[in-house]
Amino acid sequence: MNPVAEEVFMTSPGSADGVVAIGVKRQFDSVFALRGVDFTARYGEVTGLVGPNGAGKTTLLLILATLLLPDEGTVRIAGHDPVTETGAVRAMSGWVPDAFGVYDNLTTREYLRFAGLAYGLGKRSPARAEELLVLSRLQDFADRPVHVLSRGQKQRLGFVRSLVHGPRVLLLDEPAAGLDPYSRVELRDLLRQLASVGAAVVVSSHVLADLEQMADRVVFVDRGVTVGERRIDDLARASGPRVWRLRALNESELVAALDRNHYPHTAPTPGGVDVELLSDEAAAGLIAGLVRDGVHVVSCAPLTTSLEATYLALTGDQG
Amino acid sequence: MSGVLTVARLELTVRVRAGRWRWLLAAWFVILVGFTTLLRLAVSHAHNLQGNVGTVMYGGLQLFLLALALLVMPALTAQSVNGDRERGTLGVLQVTRLSAFDIAGGKLLAAWGTACIFLLASAPLVAWSMVEKGVPAIRVVIVTLVVALLLGVICAISLGLSALLARGTTSSVLSYLSVFALTLGTLIVFGLATAATTQTRVVHFSTGDPSAPAGCCSSEETVARTDLTWWILAPNPFVVLADAAPVVVERPPICRSFRTRGSIRTFCTPQPQSGVDPLGDISRSVRSLRSPPGLQSNIARSGGGEDLVWPYGLGFDVLLGGFMFGVATRRLRTPRRTLPRGVRLA
Repeated sequence: MNPVAEEVFMTSPGSADGVVAIGVKRQFDSVFALRGVDFTARYGEVTGLVGPNGAGKTTLLLILATLLLPDEGTVRIAGHDPVTETGAVRAMSGWVPDAFGVYDNLTTREYLRFAGLAYGLGKRSPARAEELLVLSRLQDFADRPVHVLSRGQKQRLGFVRSLVHGPRVLLLDEPAAGLDPYSRVELRDLLRQLASVGAAVVVSSHVLADLEQMADRVVFVDRGVTVGERRIDDLARASGPRVWRLRALNESELVAALDRNHYPHTAPTPGGVDVELLSDEAAAGLIAGLVRDGVHVVSCAPLTTSLEATYLALTGDQG
Repeated sequence: MSGVLTVARLELTVRVRAGRWRWLLAAWFVILVGFTTLLRLAVSHAHNLQGNVGTVMYGGLQLFLLALALLVMPALTAQSVNGDRERGTLGVLQVTRLSAFDIAGGKLLAAWGTACIFLLASAPLVAWSMVEKGVPAIRVVIVTLVVALLLGVICAISLGLSALLARGTTSSVLSYLSVFALTLGTLIVFGLATAATTQTRVVHFSTGDPSAPAGCCSSEETVARTDLTWWILAPNPFVVLADAAPVVVERPPICRSFRTRGSIRTFCTPQPQSGVDPLGDISRSVRSLRSPPGLQSNIARSGGGEDLVWPYGLGFDVLLGGFMFGVATRRLRTPRRTLPRGVRLA
């Protein structure tokens, strides 16, 4: 049984897009946190919100989560306005802040039951808490105080807490920060699973490698403005010169083969040999050629990911 | 209302499980027992108290308990909102279906409930003073209600301050300052205001000498116009407590009978009414402040309903508490236009 798919939604989608934000502006005293952000997140997709520290990611998420008023702009969460229909938006959305505390002395089970009550689940809260314990794989910690959980376990707990009322729209602020690699993979799988059953999942991050594996689409923000958006599969197919790193079982064999075929390359390092290639097709051609020449190629991968390259191009050159 | 109860239950669960709370309650009880025992020993040799030991014990206990509670309550509530914000538990509460009123109300209810548990811990000592006689049940009921209400007001003030200010230390300091303002502050301002409004007036008197010219004899005297300044003292929690306490039945005169030449004669001496009931003494003094000068000696008016001070004081205190609760609710309302200073933006 898929625990996410069976029980996840208690609400129905309000419109085609889970999140729509147009021209959102927000100022704190004299500091412009958001100077005009456009952002959409579709149902059935994980949408990454990417930008350097201070770009306004958290501010935007606070506005989407109904905690902060925008100065200007239109926001719709599941078709509802967070300013005028706060209750409806809260019923439809879940929010996981980047740093969230837990109540000391409360057990994991009590914490989830309380979340259920806070979302008005009433008598269904205990049953829902058990489901979420299964989903977060924290059953063994059900009666342990929350503060004994590890960071990754707390993150999982906070994540399933945001699912307690079956929201259609999920807003996660830096969910992967501070997680070990295993927990990251787990988080990615959970988010993909939620999207696959129709949720609109928004994930802010600056860990691009994580987003590359979990997001369908990425929106770039910098200094409070949307600077671009890309689909991850478009990025993967993107052309342009990029540096690829090659490794082979026998390094001298590899270098000799590259020289023979007139590929300019760097001096070999313990990491491998770097070659600049124009496209994915060029990379495929190079690997085929090397294999034909009898070189035992172990790996061939772009040194900078396409997402990283786009990120740097979009956010770097604004002075 | 169920939202308020949900939040209150959470707050109480978290509080009750925190060990320090139990130690505080234990220390509280031990201090009260120590005080009451000492007070009982101290009055056991006072001769004018026969039959009214309980009155002194109860009055002293309640005044001491209020003083102690005023010291403890801000510590229990002064960080309930900004502390949650610092711990990162407030935001996830605010995005739920709970309203700002639910959160503020739940927090107030939990704090007030805790205060009432502290109050309840004094029950054995109240019972002891009742056993010692001189404490009518109605006095216990009313004083307990008034103290509970006053503690609720202090909780509401602390709650409001914790919602208003970003830093827990600042709101703690201000909570203690507001307790200080209500207790010593009212006393100081009353003293200064009374001194400032003191008037000099000419008093004419007759010497009884018919040859003296009309209006010959007068002298100047200074008169404290406490009838203009008494209200400054009214919000003082101790004044409210003492003045709201129903009057203990006045002490009957002590009568002794002598058998003289076959007939029995009874001599009665009135007992002093002051010095045996701390609450009554405070009440009598503050009520007498309301009389304009000249009427001050009119003892016949004492105990008259129109001189009550506590309804004004308690009314003011409850309004203040209600206002601060309103402030807390307003500050917890989301989405917010402004963020408290020092809260991370992005």
